[in-house]
Amino acid sequence: MIATSEHSLERTADRLLEPKDAVPAACFHCGEPCRDESLAREGKNFCCQGCRVVHDLLAESGLDQFYQLNEHPGVRVRPRQTAAWEFLDEPAVRDKLLDFADDKMARVTLEIPAIHCVACVWLLENLFRLHPGVGRSQVNFARREVAISYTPAKLKLSELAALLDSIGYPPHLTLGGLERRPRDGARRRLWLQMGIAGFGFGNIMLISLPAYLGLDSFSGPFFRVVFGALSLALALPVVVYSAGDYWRSAWTSCRQRIMTLDVPIALGLAALYVQSAFEILSRTGEGYLDSLAGLVFFLLCGRIFQRRAHDRISFERDYRNFFPLAATRQAGQREESVAISQLAVGDRLVIRHGELIPADAKLISGPACIDYSFVTGESEPVSKQAGEHLQAGGKQTGGAIEVETLRPVSQSYLTSLWNNDAFRKEKHSCLYSLTNRFSRWFTRIVILLSLGAAGYWTLRSGLGTGLRAFTAVLIVACPCALALSAPFTLGTAQRLLARMNVFLRNILVLETMARVDAIVFDKTGTLTMAEATEVRFWPAEGHRELTREEMDLASGLARQSAHPYSVRINRHLGLLSSPVFEHVREVPGAGLTGVVSGREILLGSPAWLQRQGLPAGACPPVEGSLVALAINGVCRGTFSLASQARDQADSLVRNLAGRYELALLSGDNARERDRFREWFGSGSRLHFNQSPLEKLQFIERLQKAGRTVMMVGDGLNDAGALRQSDVGVAVVEKTGAFSPASDVIMEATQVGRLGDLLDFSRQSVRIIRLSFAVSALYNLIGISIAAAGVLSPLIAAVLMPLSSVSVVLFACGMTTWAAKSLNIYQS
Amino acid sequence: MSVIVILILASLSVALVFLGGFIWAVRSGQYEDTQTPSMRILTEPEGARKTKPTSDTDKLA
Amino acid sequence: MSATALPQDNAGLRAHRTGPIETFKYDNHVVRAFAIATALWGLIGTSAGLLAACQLFWPQLNLDTPFTTFGRIRPLHTNAVIFAFVGNGMFCGIYYSLQRLCKARMFSDLLSWINFWGWQAIIVGAAITLPLGLTTSKEYAELEWPIDIAIAVIWVAFTINLLGTIARRREKHMYVAIWFYIATAITVAILHIFNSLEVPASAFKSYSIYAGVQDALVQWWYGHNAVAFFLTTPYLGMMYYFLPKAANRPVFSYRLSIIHFWGLIFIYIWAGPHHLLYTALPDWAQSLGMVFSIMLVAPSWGGMLNGLLTLRGAWDKVRQEPMLKFMVVAVTAYGMATLEGPMLAIKSVNALSHYTDWTIAHVHTGALGWNGFLTFSLLYWLVPRLYNTKLWSVKLANYHFWIGLLGMMFYVVPLYTSGVTQGLMWKQFTSDGFLQYPNFLETVIRLIPMHQLRAVGGTLYITGIVLMIINLHRTMKAGRFIGDEEDQAPALNPAASRESMKLGHRWLEGVPVTFTVLTTVAVVIGGLIEIVPMFLIKENVPTIASVKPYTPLECLGRDVYIREGCVGCHSQMVRPFRSETERYGEYSKAGEFVYDHPFLWGSKRTGPDLHRVGGKYPDAWHFNHMENPRNTSPGSIMPSYPWLLSQRLDTTVVGVRLRALRRVGVPYTDDDILNAPQSIDAQSKKIVTALAGQSITNAPPDREIIAIIAYLQRLGTDIKSMPTNAPAAAVAASLNHNQPQP
Repeated sequence: MIATSEHSLERTADRLLEPKDAVPAACFHCGEPCRDESLAREGKNFCCQGCRVVHDLLAESGLDQFYQLNEHPGVRVRPRQTAAWEFLDEPAVRDKLLDFADDKMARVTLEIPAIHCVACVWLLENLFRLHPGVGRSQVNFARREVAISYTPAKLKLSELAALLDSIGYPPHLTLGGLERRPRDGARRRLWLQMGIAGFGFGNIMLISLPAYLGLDSFSGPFFRVVFGALSLALALPVVVYSAGDYWRSAWTSCRQRIMTLDVPIALGLAALYVQSAFEILSRTGEGYLDSLAGLVFFLLCGRIFQRRAHDRISFERDYRNFFPLAATRQAGQREESVAISQLAVGDRLVIRHGELIPADAKLISGPACIDYSFVTGESEPVSKQAGEHLQAGGKQTGGAIEVETLRPVSQSYLTSLWNNDAFRKEKHSCLYSLTNRFSRWFTRIVILLSLGAAGYWTLRSGLGTGLRAFTAVLIVACPCALALSAPFTLGTAQRLLARMNVFLRNILVLETMARVDAIVFDKTGTLTMAEATEVRFWPAEGHRELTREEMDLASGLARQSAHPYSVRINRHLGLLSSPVFEHVREVPGAGLTGVVSGREILLGSPAWLQRQGLPAGACPPVEGSLVALAINGVCRGTFSLASQARDQADSLVRNLAGRYELALLSGDNARERDRFREWFGSGSRLHFNQSPLEKLQFIERLQKAGRTVMMVGDGLNDAGALRQSDVGVAVVEKTGAFSPASDVIMEATQVGRLGDLLDFSRQSVRIIRLSFAVSALYNLIGISIAAAGVLSPLIAAVLMPLSSVSVVLFACGMTTWAAKSLNIYQS
Repeated sequence: MSVIVILILASLSVALVFLGGFIWAVRSGQYEDTQTPSMRILTEPEGARKTKPTSDTDKLA
Repeated sequence: MSATALPQDNAGLRAHRTGPIETFKYDNHVVRAFAIATALWGLIGTSAGLLAACQLFWPQLNLDTPFTTFGRIRPLHTNAVIFAFVGNGMFCGIYYSLQRLCKARMFSDLLSWINFWGWQAIIVGAAITLPLGLTTSKEYAELEWPIDIAIAVIWVAFTINLLGTIARRREKHMYVAIWFYIATAITVAILHIFNSLEVPASAFKSYSIYAGVQDALVQWWYGHNAVAFFLTTPYLGMMYYFLPKAANRPVFSYRLSIIHFWGLIFIYIWAGPHHLLYTALPDWAQSLGMVFSIMLVAPSWGGMLNGLLTLRGAWDKVRQEPMLKFMVVAVTAYGMATLEGPMLAIKSVNALSHYTDWTIAHVHTGALGWNGFLTFSLLYWLVPRLYNTKLWSVKLANYHFWIGLLGMMFYVVPLYTSGVTQGLMWKQFTSDGFLQYPNFLETVIRLIPMHQLRAVGGTLYITGIVLMIINLHRTMKAGRFIGDEEDQAPALNPAASRESMKLGHRWLEGVPVTFTVLTTVAVVIGGLIEIVPMFLIKENVPTIASVKPYTPLECLGRDVYIREGCVGCHSQMVRPFRSETERYGEYSKAGEFVYDHPFLWGSKRTGPDLHRVGGKYPDAWHFNHMENPRNTSPGSIMPSYPWLLSQRLDTTVVGVRLRALRRVGVPYTDDDILNAPQSIDAQSKKIVTALAGQSITNAPPDREIIAIIAYLQRLGTDIKSMPTNAPAAAVAASLNHNQPQP
């Protein structure tokens, strides 16, 4: 599943909406190059039998429009047996997956990463044409989800999944998928509130404009009454419903004795409404209702801007989203697929190439070669012997193996990490946010000022004027612009960052990021690439580089083995002529031998070669993990396999080294210490062989020492650290692929830009400060007018939208400019 | 000029009707997904004309 | 299996329950009917326009019959283009896209055909009545009351059909286009009903229940929103459907399109009064109109950019696809018009542009560009699909495009020039403070070349339409028409679809919105119709003492004035500028129009303003001028009205008419009505003798010419006849804009 998901996620919707120029002999269905001409029919090429079957199926179901909607819209089909989905019919699993079910129908929402274009949407929504048991199906493209209603009597859930799989849209089912994401009614409510506020704003403005334009000059009390009444009526829902959240939060923060910005806002709104109602009812004026509605409207716009979430990216994922939902269990002779939650200790499981070890287990049979890079940070796959202990989360590479589970999934070595309380405590609330720190003293000042004005005017010219001044100050001091500057600055920043595939959990992350003074890096998958390895050949002394023929010998032999080293060497050398080997022999975990036209070739660990009778030290001793090559008993030289650094990774580290306290935490062995020492410089700490828990504790220690820590990691092994750190940055190959819980999700190619990102965060905070100043200025002007006891509705009506809008423009403009200057985004 | 009052009332009531529409739309989740609908309209019903009974596809499931 | 309904489903459940897969057919018959009607009426409407346009530099082209004279042809042209061409085009687009968007056949075929034939009947009715001079003279609402009622009925049929189809849709989401359609249906209904409130005097004569300023306000509240909701919202909906389809890519930002709709809906309805800037309308109402029309730029441009950006990266497609070319120009024209409109609403600009050809140029940017080109692209896209074939000749379509575009240029550019030229000439003063061009005729003759060019443009545009009709006709011949296009979809809500089998209002309950909408609208209309007259009677109390109702003869003269469509070329509203008071005299006060049912302020000055024409010339001048304008004003482009001299004035109707006027608040006493015939005789005798004194001896007393002279000589004179001390008071009153004195 992981495989398919990544395959399809390489394609973004946009790219595929534009027709691709047809590649010669591209598969008519999926567009992949076709090697086998025999599959071609009616001038349509197919890359594989699967694609052709799907094409025929669609054609005979009258769904061939699929191919008119987009060129090669399909996804290469690698269907599993229906059996592979049987676990979905276990009530425990099924009932968790279904959105709704009764005896007549059921509805399930499935994540299908393969969805990538109009044609997909169309095909999936016409699923009912493929099977009578399927009813409505509705795609949500942004979420890559499809909600399908079906008749359980005619179609089992497993069959539905198999049907989807068979046409190239396998559902992506993970343990985590079972916990369904909460429907956010909050968002809907926000839209409603804004809509109503906007409605009120527009209409009240219409009605109060005449007053400003000299209504009374032409027709006396009559219109005043009508208009006044209307605007009061229109303003009521705005105050009660649209502004509801402000009342609530102001109330709570008062009870908690915290001066959040919502307090003065609430005060301002209250003052506005009361004052206006008084003026209108007593026929002494038109009131400030249009300003009131406008204010609420703008504030809500800010909220919406702030709430904008990335639909496809989840920041809350843990190991459950990494683990598949099912495993293959050996039951006597036949294999059955079983939900992982149902796994019992002692179950015999079959793990195939690329599949995950779901729980700690004992290896029963098969040449196990486990890739732990994602789990422990160990960059090199380790080969295990029968009877050895395998940790959950490792990926088998090579042939199929059989294992016996030792512990249930939840107690496994890896998953137990999630019992650490770092995962329980809620991450720092927004209380630390700039706005709130600022508002502490702002609020106090406002209240003092208003009281002051009230007192002064009461003494000078009576209670009436006093009250007027009081409300007036509260009104103009209402920090609308203030409340807008932060969300709009950070929101814009968030939007721009998303364009370079850096996604923020929420906008406050940026503020925290600006305070970071210590950065901790993970090695494998972060500074280096988990998969790619750089292979170098070191000739033994007295020998030249390999000839092409020798290369072919080595690579040809390497090709005989599934061991990752062999694979990489083979990939590195390539193969021109393929020599014919006789009696090839592989010693698991040691090496290979083979004979070509009388010449014996050995390829394996130097130690093993010695045991094969080569003179000790014949092979050059070099850094890294080694594979030695001997031809006819003579050591020809050594291949060194070192993990390959991401481009710009070193320059990044070198730049940051001066300005931040840096550290490297790796689950890998210390083999490459010197190389990284050179990058990080002498000052910083480098730790290897770190367990996930140790990493977490390291971060804690830093924080205890008063540091604001940013952790940059890629995998489950960092999950704890990411969670613990103040800013956890998860590095992923493909956004949307698995990434552990974190604050920032960053595409691997962008790691080099981390420095810019930090600068940008500091810039943004500076911009916020500036816009605070600007809006404070507005409030000052307003207050001085109000304190002077002369605030006409017109002034208010002009000042308020003006201040809000200009601050918003300022914030967005500056941020964009800053982003440009750091070329974080190119228009 | 009281005809203006009539016009305002008329306009306002129309606006109110649409406000009702807006509320219904948001409530009933019309705007939950603001991408797929724009893609959905691009497809034509043409395929439908050739539709055949799909019983033979059961073997898939 | 155990019923495991989850909490959040209680609401969405019904919508999600799977029903049987339903097979249904889209109704293409009615779509085709509307498509054909669109093309033909398009040709007729524009040709009528060309005829009218040519008379502006070649008056004899009225063929010396009243029926083909400019004053009667112009309303025919506007009505044919707006309601026949755009109207049918709109129905065509809606009936096609709505069915597909809802995945459902139209709610009722019967209603569909009632809508089609009813609408054609109305148009034919208009094409007959308007040349006969049966008109209310209110722009874009000229049709008389029986036709107004027919329009209301047919429109309701359409609305039910629309909402019913939506109620039965099989697609949960309502695509933004549908919202634009709903807006059209509901709003146009309200506008039409309010503006057409009139009291019949006979089968084809009625008087607006509003008078003067109020009538003007309602008329332009309607006039503006007719443009907004008849010419714009349905076409925006169609743009949002057909543009993505043609470009085969989703709209640039669907979210923006949603904002576009709601933004438009909440602002558009307010922006009426800007059509009356610098008139006798209260300042604040004018400024209000101004502010809101300026606010409109934002949503309009949002829509335009959304449309154009949809084509980003598909311009190669535009090069090949003529229909996309049309679409692009249409959307651009929309952008230009919606920017120009608010600009014209700015008082200082309006002071120059109003009453000139600038306005004509502006509306034609919209009509020829936005509506015309979008309709063409719609037809080019639709017809081949309906006939399951390719367009007969893409090449020909491209010719149409370029010829049409050229035509637009030739049309619009000269009119801008002429508009600005005339506007400036009117305001031109000599160094010593006199009008540079005191003779209005000078400013008219100066424009003749531009008007000739405009006619060329129009001819080109029409040529384009002819090419299109040929092309579409051949396409139809070539293909096989698919009357009922089959489609399949799962029922959205089996319960509802079963219910909807039997008619009745059960389906309404299924859709609370629809129900509320209809009821609210009903209540609103009902309630307001109750209130309106009450207000207005009270309103019609004169505030300028000397302003009196028209005499019976003047009243009949006014009806002739209306019948001949004089208001099409002559305003009756002197604006408070020195350039105008110098030229015409005292500027117009709101208080002077309290007996004008309907108001005759006009919106264009092809000829001079007439509000102060009373007493300006001797009766004989009018007599000769009507017989042949060139007798009195050489070079005038005004048509001759010989029939006014020959036709006998029908005085039998006077009683009915005065009574009707009394019902709308003109204080005619029973005696007035009773003695009407005598008073007519008396007044016409006076005029005849006056004429005789001016060497016109052959003038018979019982001809229409007498009545019209009587009316013209009365125009704007009441205020002069004020007692000497009064003017101050009158001016004060007028500044107070005719407020009701409690």
